[in-house]
Amino acid sequence: MAHAEAHHDDHHHPGFFTRWFCSTNHKDIGTLYLWVAMFAAIVGGLMSWYIRAELAEPGLQLISNDAEGKQFYNVLVTGHGFIMVFFVVMPAMIGGFGNWFVPLMIGAPDMAFPRMNNISFWLLAAGFALLLTAAFIDGGPGTGWTVYPPLSSIDFHPGRAVDFGILSLHVAGASSILGAINFIVTIFNMRAPGMTIHRMPLFVWAILVTAFLLLLALPVLAGGLTMLLTDRNFGTAFFNPAEGGDPVLWQHLFWFFGHPEVYIIIIPAFGIISQIVSTFSKKPVFGYLGMAYAMAAIGVVGFVVWAHHMYTIGFNVDTRAYFTAATMVIAVPTGVKIFSWLATMWGGSIKFEVPMMYALAFIFLFVVGGVTGVTLANASADLVFHDTYYVVAHFHYVMGLAAILAMFAGWYYWIGKMTGRRYPEGLARVQFWFFVIGVNVLFFPQHFSGLAGMPRRIPDYPDAYAPFNYISSVGALITAIGTLLFFVVLWRTYTSSEKVEANQWGEGATTLEWTVASPAPWHTHEELPDMTGKAPAE
Amino acid sequence: MASTRTKNRRAAMALSVVVAAMVGLAFASVPLYKLFCQVTGYGGTPKIKVAAGDSASTRQIEVRFDANVNKGMPWHFKPAQVHVTVKLGEPKLAFYRARNDSDETITGTAVFNVTPYKVGPYFSKIDCFCFTEQTLKPGQEVDMPVEFFVDPEIYTDPNTKDVHAITLSYTFYRSEPEDSDKKAETAARPVDGKSNIKG
Repeated sequence: MAHAEAHHDDHHHPGFFTRWFCSTNHKDIGTLYLWVAMFAAIVGGLMSWYIRAELAEPGLQLISNDAEGKQFYNVLVTGHGFIMVFFVVMPAMIGGFGNWFVPLMIGAPDMAFPRMNNISFWLLAAGFALLLTAAFIDGGPGTGWTVYPPLSSIDFHPGRAVDFGILSLHVAGASSILGAINFIVTIFNMRAPGMTIHRMPLFVWAILVTAFLLLLALPVLAGGLTMLLTDRNFGTAFFNPAEGGDPVLWQHLFWFFGHPEVYIIIIPAFGIISQIVSTFSKKPVFGYLGMAYAMAAIGVVGFVVWAHHMYTIGFNVDTRAYFTAATMVIAVPTGVKIFSWLATMWGGSIKFEVPMMYALAFIFLFVVGGVTGVTLANASADLVFHDTYYVVAHFHYVMGLAAILAMFAGWYYWIGKMTGRRYPEGLARVQFWFFVIGVNVLFFPQHFSGLAGMPRRIPDYPDAYAPFNYISSVGALITAIGTLLFFVVLWRTYTSSEKVEANQWGEGATTLEWTVASPAPWHTHEELPDMTGKAPAE
Repeated sequence: MASTRTKNRRAAMALSVVVAAMVGLAFASVPLYKLFCQVTGYGGTPKIKVAAGDSASTRQIEVRFDANVNKGMPWHFKPAQVHVTVKLGEPKLAFYRARNDSDETITGTAVFNVTPYKVGPYFSKIDCFCFTEQTLKPGQEVDMPVEFFVDPEIYTDPNTKDVHAITLSYTFYRSEPEDSDKKAETAARPVDGKSNIKG
């Protein structure tokens, strides 16, 4: 096998431009996505540190006390949200780890449509460039990532910033829709012989469910964005009450996409955690079918709960009761997953390697974030919490802590396979603690600010909120150090001379990527592995 | 048995159809949303009925009138009567008075609803000024009629039988007139005459 691959490589070794700009290789494209995600994380992170620097004390220190300053603050908030969701977490987990490991795990030589895979990546890069452009022209889009009209309409955001933002999202959306088609077709049609659907690793299940969510949710966002674009520029009145439209229509369309979007963020993380917990407990995941179908159930129910983001718009009490109940229902399959991970560890032989430390932190902190979600699910309570820092704390726990921790977990788990190099063990542990302590100090006090009534998206606040804000900003500083340390780890890994073996993690690592060399050869599974008769590879 | 290439293409086609369908549904949501509100009266959408039925009743209900203008709409707009008491099922005529206080001809359209929201299915407008645009010359004042009735079913529905007063509310917005000469004069402008955002 190795000889055949080396022979193959001799015959076609593409030049730099062809290899990196015209790639049709799932590993290279995965690598490109990971680099974009890391770059975007720095940009989005800088925005968030600026925000926390301003909010560290009452009064306006960094933001000027005029319309331009406040618009700039709103643009920071908007940019931070869009960048983290669309250009960090999604590219890293779906574009990055998904592209790298789905073909490897199912025994396929590449994705179903390798060239379309490349288009997906370059559309993403273009979308990111458009978003950054939007921030720098005509005052930038100061609408929040939710882009509600009338604030986002032409009357209140004249100029081209919101239009560039809309274009950015259209392009990034197209990238993800094409990627979703690619993943679904690959997973359905290109599994190696014997790799039945119920033998696929849970990470592959996670990407499959996520791909379906992308397919169904993103087009609705695209529709809504197009309506906003024509309202702003071509005289339509979808959202303008003066001419028979309704701003609430935007909210319905946006959140019909927006709620599945947060499951798109977290379900790949669930997949990564399943792989890691299994590997470092030396046990298959407890209840494989339950885990797979729990993800599917979360995905399906996630489509019928969108109005829990809209409890304050004045709709019917019976409607609010329905959305409260439906939202609570999602806690059930989610609980199945949490308990299954615990059951996987029970009786296993646990090794606290860095990926496992991140996975354990994920499980605990995702539960913390999840339970505040259950509180918010209550329409009556939400009337008090809506648009306060309680909501900010909730979604940062589940996305800014849990999902990011899963990304780090995946990075540490798979970096040896991707590069053939070992990460520096001691520094990695230090990085873990700085980051985990940092984000907790950052976001936990925000529950209290929110309960005390501090609104979201404000650059200044009454003195009474000062103590929690100060602590939160200190947390941001610790997190910034943790992030910097990650890049030191990254650099030390790349410049390390320590090589890693094909299976870095031992008998617990049972999925197909651990059967190929480290770094994985440019082409793998050119002869399909025969999986008939093997147990479910989790 | 089709080749992998063919199977992949067919699968991709099917999934693309799903994407197109979802975009279609997003756009279809606009008329579907309107239709849903009109049929169910959801959100206080009153019904529009050509004539009252003959199920009149001796029970009465108070109907109150509310009037608003959007910012940037320089009209004086008030109901001619603050409230009326009306028998269920009986058609009633009420008036709103509007005066253009500015020095240019302005066209407006009114949006409306009723509260409490749940009475929407039972409040029917037979004729209303809100069905058409209203154009007023500078200083011109008009009385605008609305003819309506309240369905007696309101008292048999357990959800709504506690309602003793319904408020009919209108808001007038400036709109672009059908006449194209006027379009340049009423081109979009920031609502309060100046914008906080530097363009």
